[in-house]
Amino acid sequence: MQLHGWEAVIFYVLAIGTLFMGVYVVTARLAVHSALCLIATLVNVALLFILLRSEFVAGVQILVYVGGVMVLFLFVIMLVQTRAEEEDKVKLYTRQMWPAVTVAFLLAISFFFAMQPAQMAYRPSQSQTEAEKKGDDPGVRSESGAGLKVSTDTESVGEALYRQAALPFEIASLLLLVAIVGAVLLARGSKQEKLYE
Amino acid sequence: MPEILALLIAPDWVRSLTGERPPNVFWAEYIVWPLIQIVIVLFVVLTVVAYLVYFERKISAFIQARLGPMRVGPWGILQPAADGLKLLLKEDIIPIKADKLVFSIAPIISVVSTLVVLAVIPWGAAWATIANVNIGLLFVLAVSSVSVLGLVLAGWSSNSKYSLLGALRSSAQMVSYEVGMGLSIIGALIFARTLSLSGIVEAQRADGLPYFLFQPLGFLIYLISALGETNRAPFDLPEAESELVAGYHTEYSGFRWALFFMAEYTAMLVTSAVAVTVFLGGWYFPGLDWIKSNWGPNIYVLLSVAAFAGKIAVLIYAYMWFRWTWPRYRYDQLMELGWKWLIPAGLANVVLTGVWYVLALPEAQGGVFGFVKQTAGRYVPTGYGKIYFILTGFIITIPLSWALLATINRRSRDFNLHDQRQLQIKLRSERIKRNEPVAE
Repeated sequence: MQLHGWEAVIFYVLAIGTLFMGVYVVTARLAVHSALCLIATLVNVALLFILLRSEFVAGVQILVYVGGVMVLFLFVIMLVQTRAEEEDKVKLYTRQMWPAVTVAFLLAISFFFAMQPAQMAYRPSQSQTEAEKKGDDPGVRSESGAGLKVSTDTESVGEALYRQAALPFEIASLLLLVAIVGAVLLARGSKQEKLYE
Repeated sequence: MPEILALLIAPDWVRSLTGERPPNVFWAEYIVWPLIQIVIVLFVVLTVVAYLVYFERKISAFIQARLGPMRVGPWGILQPAADGLKLLLKEDIIPIKADKLVFSIAPIISVVSTLVVLAVIPWGAAWATIANVNIGLLFVLAVSSVSVLGLVLAGWSSNSKYSLLGALRSSAQMVSYEVGMGLSIIGALIFARTLSLSGIVEAQRADGLPYFLFQPLGFLIYLISALGETNRAPFDLPEAESELVAGYHTEYSGFRWALFFMAEYTAMLVTSAVAVTVFLGGWYFPGLDWIKSNWGPNIYVLLSVAAFAGKIAVLIYAYMWFRWTWPRYRYDQLMELGWKWLIPAGLANVVLTGVWYVLALPEAQGGVFGFVKQTAGRYVPTGYGKIYFILTGFIITIPLSWALLATINRRSRDFNLHDQRQLQIKLRSERIKRNEPVAE
């Protein structure tokens, strides 16, 4: 899908916003401010997903990352960090800066070269561009949402998840289960166990 | 494009206002009419939210045989205006050591995340719904989960121990009950086969029955989780007016405090609206189709909005009734209910509903009974199918889940927290009797 008109404008606004917020995540002095900017970054990425017409992924991104993971992040930060750690005592620029810049630069170059073949390979066919033009209106609204397929994004994610990706899905769920059981075991402590012996 | 024309929802006068002719009605459909709807919905909802406080006081007065607010206007009906004015005129205090930026952003996050959800709620048929998005229900859950951040940040930025502990308390509660709430809805989605909120209403209309009959356990879990999620009694530990100072908003005053309150009452409205949409048939009631063909489309839409509002009002009355009827839970009881009863029950409900549904499919689809027929692109239960789903829901799903959870939670050594606590208390008292040191 190629971006044109307002879509391109929105994309660049969101992309630049994401980058600025991402930079602020690592330069903020207070960890809570970093977390706030990370939230803004994640919301921006969700909006980019909507621009790609995958609103299901966008919804899940907000639900899981902003509503779940970031809340737990904030929990930990709030419990660990105290205000005694004053702003000017934090050293932002250490000798690790140059290695970091180098790695970031290498990553940028590799991204550039990785994307080039994809860009070259992309040639919109005639029917595709027509379909894109038709699909340009932001969805058709109706009295009966059930009758008309406005967008089939949710369905396609579901189909892919339970047909092609069924095995990885199950493996991932098993991994999470192991993690949960491990966390419970660590949290229980020996006192509770001893009580019954 | 006749099928597209039938889907346009803006009334004719909006189209004449923008001077557009179908099928090119971009401005009328996507800009002008939604903006009008947004203004109306925001005005009505914020007024209703202000009056919910009044009704809460009146209902509590009614339950305790008092009069409630009576001074401002006849029967005190101007009380919300007086309260609002008072809050606006109060001094806006920001503690000196507070993080000023976060302190002022926190209430905004809370309010915005609850108000945004109003855009996808199906307030009524045809032109009364603002946006019918494909991921409606997911959108509601996702955006309302963001409001927890407002509380956490408010508690942290106040730089006060009371606020911080209050924020931890309430966000732990909200995160826990959100899970149960999300799980309880999935059972109804198996029947509706869509996430769009308007689509769920239409599905109940096509199936002929509201889904709380097919999903009694899901409805129950949703109602209880919604109480916990909106911090209402009997789960109002974050605030606990009669025992604590306040929770995360201890340091807030004036209008910033009012914003938190507004978010709380709007969340109550939103969770009730979702319950009505998913379980109680939304804006549809039997006989609405007759009204549409006999009284005209406009009265039909207005009556559908009225039906939606009426169903919400019943649920909200029930919430307030609960508040003045049941005592507050203890914190460990609250967590136990959320994690050990509601969430496993939600999981059991999803599995059992899936089993019943697959069994009811026609044999060609891999089912047994054939109680579900495919008509017009979706599966509709037949007459026997409705009886089958209601019976399985009430007679098998609820008792089976109950028995399963009771076995796990009450009879097993590792999960019975109550038993473990009692044992600790017993051991401690024995040590005291033997004059041994009790410090642990």
